[in-house]
Amino acid sequence: MDSRKKEGQMKTNDILEKKSTRRSFIKKLSIAAAAGSAGLVAGGCVSTGETTEEMGLKWEEYFKKNYRMMTDKEKDETVARLEKLAKLQDDVNIQMSNQEPREKVLFGYAFNISRCKGYMDCVEACVKENNLDRNSKTQYIRIFEMDSGQQDPTSGDGKYHHEVPVENKYYMGIQCFHCENAPCIKACPTKATWREPDGIVVVDYDWCIGCRYCMAACPFWGRRFNWGEPEVPKEELNTKQHYLGNRKRMKGVMEKCTFCVQRTRQGKLPACADACPTGSRVFGNLLDPNSEIRYVLKHKKVFRFKEELGTDPKFWYFMD
Amino acid sequence: MKKIFLRSGLLFLCFVPGTVLMSGVAVMASGGGVMDRIHHADEPFDTMEIDTAYQLPVKTVRAKESWKGGSFRVLARKDSITRYRCSVCHTDKKVLVKDAVLFTHGDIVINHGEGDNELACIQCHDEDDRDFLSDSSGKKIDFDHSYQLCGQCHFRQKRDWLGGAHGKRDAYWAGERVIRNCTTCHSPHSPAFKTKMPETYSLPLDQ
Ligand code: SF4
Ligand code: SF4
Repeated sequence: MDSRKKEGQMKTNDILEKKSTRRSFIKKLSIAAAAGSAGLVAGGCVSTGETTEEMGLKWEEYFKKNYRMMTDKEKDETVARLEKLAKLQDDVNIQMSNQEPREKVLFGYAFNISRCKGYMDCVEACVKENNLDRNSKTQYIRIFEMDSGQQDPTSGDGKYHHEVPVENKYYMGIQCFHCENAPCIKACPTKATWREPDGIVVVDYDWCIGCRYCMAACPFWGRRFNWGEPEVPKEELNTKQHYLGNRKRMKGVMEKCTFCVQRTRQGKLPACADACPTGSRVFGNLLDPNSEIRYVLKHKKVFRFKEELGTDPKFWYFMD
Repeated sequence: MKKIFLRSGLLFLCFVPGTVLMSGVAVMASGGGVMDRIHHADEPFDTMEIDTAYQLPVKTVRAKESWKGGSFRVLARKDSITRYRCSVCHTDKKVLVKDAVLFTHGDIVINHGEGDNELACIQCHDEDDRDFLSDSSGKKIDFDHSYQLCGQCHFRQKRDWLGGAHGKRDAYWAGERVIRNCTTCHSPHSPAFKTKMPETYSLPLDQ
């Protein structure tokens, strides 16, 4: 069986499994409902080990809308519920934000291929910041060691295990490019993924059905799928979260780089740019003529990867 | 039955990216796009508007340069020089032989400037006032503003540093602009970055 077939099968299994958990969940709830609201309040469902409060929160969570359809009040409510659920289910105190995009801001990124030394501090910082699954070793960023003259990262080596940098090599980072004209968005049958006004391409994890069409549509390998329940050690959990960013993901949903929406909408640099010791990563507001990223676009030799595809990425490579 | 389902599923997956990409190109051809938006955006953004960009917990100083008519800050340097102020030791008092190793900075390795151009201490340090650096014209330069000195030779890097293509901002893209000093990242005595083992590894793109 080739790997694509295997993947296909896992996918079917996965959706079936997901359906069955949803179904059994509704069943549980309807039994509870049949017992009457008094039953709920009195704390039925002892068999599941869940408290009434938890049941109630989950019930409301289950029937909430797509994030884009929510009113501000509904957004606040779901964020508050998720904070409570994190406490009840995992015994962690998280702070979840639903900070809206800032006006007159369009985020963009530039990567200096003549400065990157291949240290991969960015990759590690991203994993920690975004609560990425340690089990499957999910990473949003990839760094490839490339021969000078080589241009296609598909043939680059990401598994180098020696001191870096190596002479006559250069290092190229790849992550979601937050395309203005993103094919992943168009491929999604449930509108679970979209581009925010500040340019960040996000996923509503509660609305994603795990079909992975977006993954197939992305020409930049920018998306990551959760084949299993993501695992993050409790002591390493980043508790500063955003609804559209690093909050807890479930098994069977898609995720991706969000330009660290939980940080960048508060004025911070994304974790990767902050962690880079070489200054190869430039991040900022594309609409601000005084921003660093605008200086790079204006004064440096820049190019975009696979620009001819017309996806209009907001991620440039540049040289000194 | 399962097999048929799988095949059709795969076929569908193959078609989706194809059609989507083609429509993508069509959209681009009709103009618009992010480059257009950038070209039309010429009004400076007030980064102070984002009030969650707090002041940094480390010491910074206002740079003695301006950028786009405004001021900015750099990370201070003097606080991280363990034996500053230098004049505490550099006095007229005699140096005892037993203290010589310590007092002559024998631990410092210079790896700055190539071949015959390897730098000597007083090319950057002020000969008379050890609490300062000095540039080639003899003008005293504060350690916190070492970019004024480095920029004499590395003028291209300095231009990019001012603009934002070299060096980096500290912590925030918004708020008051705070960038790293040359010496925050480069040891002035041996400025090249060290080689080290990578933190992790990356899987090939198609995995
Ligand atoms: S890089 Fe891929 S995932 Fe990111 S916006 Fe573009 S198409 Fe979508
Ligand atoms: S995997 Fe989720 S986000 Fe991607 S296309 Fe399917 S439903 Fe949309």
